[in-house]
Amino acid sequence: MEQLCDNSLGWSVVSQNKMVVYALIIINKAGGLVYQRDFAEGLNKLSINDYLVLAGTFHGIHAISTRLNPLLPNDTPSTTSRPLPPSGIEVLETENFRLQCFQTLTGTKFLLFTEPQQPNIENIMGMIYGLYADYVMKNPFYSLEMPVRCEGWERRLVREVRAVNSR
Amino acid sequence: MTCYSFYIFDRHTECIYSKLWARQDRPLSAGIDPSSIPASNGGAQSDLGPARARPARLSAQDDAKLIFGTIFSLRNMVRKLGGPDDRYIHTYAHTTGNGPRKWEKMLIQRNSFISYRTGQYKLHYYETPTSIKFVMLTDTQTLNMRNVLHQIYVNLYVEFVVKNPLSPVEHPGGVGVANELFELALDQFVKGVL
Repeated sequence: MEQLCDNSLGWSVVSQNKMVVYALIIINKAGGLVYQRDFAEGLNKLSINDYLVLAGTFHGIHAISTRLNPLLPNDTPSTTSRPLPPSGIEVLETENFRLQCFQTLTGTKFLLFTEPQQPNIENIMGMIYGLYADYVMKNPFYSLEMPVRCEGWERRLVREVRAVNSR
Repeated sequence: MTCYSFYIFDRHTECIYSKLWARQDRPLSAGIDPSSIPASNGGAQSDLGPARARPARLSAQDDAKLIFGTIFSLRNMVRKLGGPDDRYIHTYAHTTGNGPRKWEKMLIQRNSFISYRTGQYKLHYYETPTSIKFVMLTDTQTLNMRNVLHQIYVNLYVEFVVKNPLSPVEHPGGVGVANELFELALDQFVKGVL
């Protein structure tokens, strides 16, 4: 009986710590969808058209959210450095999932859908960005701003995310 | 924790109440003389030329419109993506009227969008089943404020606006919302929470 209790406790702890990455979306700097992949159940499946609409919508909202900055911009004129521009949406929290958005300096956006309470998303995002740099940007046959169809990227990405999901 | 602003939108997408806090506090805390701001502002814009061509600030009305657009799109996006149980909450309501009393299934669209955060601020969202939308902008350190917005709805909005016999049912242009009691209580409530 005691063992059973222990087991059930152990299971609940394990299931709480389990990390789930639901999906990854990459949006190019013009707001076009260049990559979309589901890794786990949990989000609704949309048609490819809906994903394109979603990418464009998010691109627009991201731009608007930079303009909604309630703080005064720092108006002290400085000749040495330009202040960092206000960032757009970084984390979106909902009851069903958590959306982490990472925008590279060149304007490409990585959207990572995870469980609501998932920690260390930055690490996963960094890992994915590294893979993207290695397997997509360094691929001589990849044309910029176009949909990502690279076998190596696909293989490595699925392997790494699967490792995260089953950790 | 700081609260920057608070907005209420009615079901006709109109902003019926908005309140801004602390927007003018920042230059003082940053140690800049307020009287010098207009001059330095103009100077900076002419000096840096087209790179800073974007207009300095939007009016409060434009801000409210942008906020509504943002939450509207995000809410729809989240609703579309959310899991299969996201679409409706199934509740049973006791039907009133002349017929036999029975329980009827009611479908209420559930809103799972809670908040988003940028590097500068965080936006919290709460929508009532009658689709009145409460939005609050705070600093990025603030934790979940959905229950606070719910409290504002239950304890302040319902008490001082809905139950006010002089206020109309709908509030076109914000008529009846910004009454003295509501404003005072809201101000105290927000200052007490943060």
